[in-house]
Amino acid sequence: MKPLNQKAERVQQAAAEGQMDEVRAMQTVTAGCATTFDPGWEVDPFGGLAALCQPMEADLYGCSDPCWWPAQVPDIMVNHPNWDEGAPNAAKDWRSLGATYPADAET
Amino acid sequence: MTARTGSLTAALIITIAGTAPALASERLLQDSCSGCHTAEESGLSRISGQRKTPEGWMMTIVRMQQAHGLDISAADRRAVVQHLSDTQGLAPAEAAPFRYALEKDPNYQESLEEPFASMCARCHTAARGLLQNRTAEEWELHMDFHVGHFPTIEYQALGRDREWYKIARTEIADYLAEQNPLETAAWTDWRAAEKQPVAGGWVVMTDLPGIGEAYGKLTVIGENSPYQISGEFVTADGTVHPASGQMNLYTGYEWRANLDIGGTAYRQVLALSEDGNSLQGRQFDRGNDALGAPLTGVRDGAGSSILGTVPSAVPAGKARVQVVGTGLESLASSTGSTAANDFGTALSLSTEGNGIVTFSTGNAEGQIAHYASIDSIRVEPEFTIARVGGGSDSGPAAVPAYFNAVGMWNGPDGQAGTEDDVRIGRVDAQWSVANAHDHAAHMKDTEYAGEMQASGIFLPAIAGPNADRPFSANNVGELKVQAEAMGLRAEAMLIVTVQRFIDPPIR
Repeated sequence: MKPLNQKAERVQQAAAEGQMDEVRAMQTVTAGCATTFDPGWEVDPFGGLAALCQPMEADLYGCSDPCWWPAQVPDIMVNHPNWDEGAPNAAKDWRSLGATYPADAET
Repeated sequence: MTARTGSLTAALIITIAGTAPALASERLLQDSCSGCHTAEESGLSRISGQRKTPEGWMMTIVRMQQAHGLDISAADRRAVVQHLSDTQGLAPAEAAPFRYALEKDPNYQESLEEPFASMCARCHTAARGLLQNRTAEEWELHMDFHVGHFPTIEYQALGRDREWYKIARTEIADYLAEQNPLETAAWTDWRAAEKQPVAGGWVVMTDLPGIGEAYGKLTVIGENSPYQISGEFVTADGTVHPASGQMNLYTGYEWRANLDIGGTAYRQVLALSEDGNSLQGRQFDRGNDALGAPLTGVRDGAGSSILGTVPSAVPAGKARVQVVGTGLESLASSTGSTAANDFGTALSLSTEGNGIVTFSTGNAEGQIAHYASIDSIRVEPEFTIARVGGGSDSGPAAVPAYFNAVGMWNGPDGQAGTEDDVRIGRVDAQWSVANAHDHAAHMKDTEYAGEMQASGIFLPAIAGPNADRPFSANNVGELKVQAEAMGLRAEAMLIVTVQRFIDPPIR
């Protein structure tokens, strides 16, 4: 199998160097972090950042629209259909992407 | 209609001290929710089969607004949360194992068994599920709710390659129905228990991040939520920070306060003890909940009780120490002189070398270490995350990380890092960050990810792609946080990662 990009190459390199054993079990990451392993939102399979999409805005909609991190990133498929309104290009329009939980909804 | 009368009667009977009249609240619930939820034998459909924390109910109502078009004012929403938390909340013992989630502890790491870890906690805390009690049918519907709202759940990693839905509907729903059923002895007992009034004076102890360890006194006035709070916090150097604000009390014990302390907005998420004489929880910056610390409190005049000392440890020599608590007028100390005050008793010490001063009165006892030398230091927390943020009006703010250096003695075995090590207390440290590994160095994470402050607070950099970095990467980074104190060094791990766009009260 030939890696198609630099990141895939790094993953292959990590496997070759036996670093796959260093995968953090998800519960060892700070409570509430999404660690779905392809990749996680906050951390990658190695408990770090190197294998995450970077910058995350480059592929944000490709993952958030189909609800890939439903507890961290608004999906426009079901729950937050207007979240990306006025921001067709996340890498350029990231300043328009807001937090969705209302600030006044405090107990 | 019979069913509705039944739930009204129940609500009248189980009115909890410190809440609005149950009848009015029940009417508000009916007015707000019965447009969709139908009256059934046990109450309104779906709602009557669940119990939750105040935050859990608030998140549910927000979802009704965002997903189902519920139109409700902020005041009515809070009133409904009050009513549901009081009549269908969690008993103190039920919420106790998961208070870290309510307190928004940024450093807590859950430890979970499979399949719960990958079925539920791959997206959110386990606490978010386990801070709820439901009927068996409600737990099954809860699984269906996830599929309906998050339809890709079955083909995300750890969702695909197995029968996710079958596991959810059988193993997980059955497990939760058994572990967290709607009816429990704990809840029955708590509903029947006489609730203690929360009004009165409280002596408290905490840490104000960036300011220092602090003690204080808060006076609570009122008979219903919102209660009025006034008082002050005092740091080790004697600086007074006036405090005032409001507090809502849910379920007879869940204390949620917003306070202005010395010009900064803080939030308190505390639990009132069942005897009504102590408080425990976390206080944090209201605009940035990562900046917080545990807070303990004792009712002023409730016997003799010691919360701790401010500062937590002192260098050898002359020092003034505040022993924080109540009923400490007759405090006896192994050395030094005592002077009772509104916050407990002040201790004037003159010490040499390393040692421990002990003090007690009645059944209350405490101690403080004085040190001329320390054997090692620790950085707390050992691992945490921060998040880039800001740079826009609507996006999430940056989330900092807060570190402290703690001095240690080796203990009798003379070895550092063993069980008999003696924790001295917080020590002043010089802070810096370093790249955690070669890749971090290649990405120059220390240059881009943010800045370490002298106070031990790491402030992450701005959000967004950074054209100066490879791949135009965000200002994320993997850093070693380094502390140096009295010639000793220690490290912790910090991951500076991306922002979180959905950030509810229970993550």
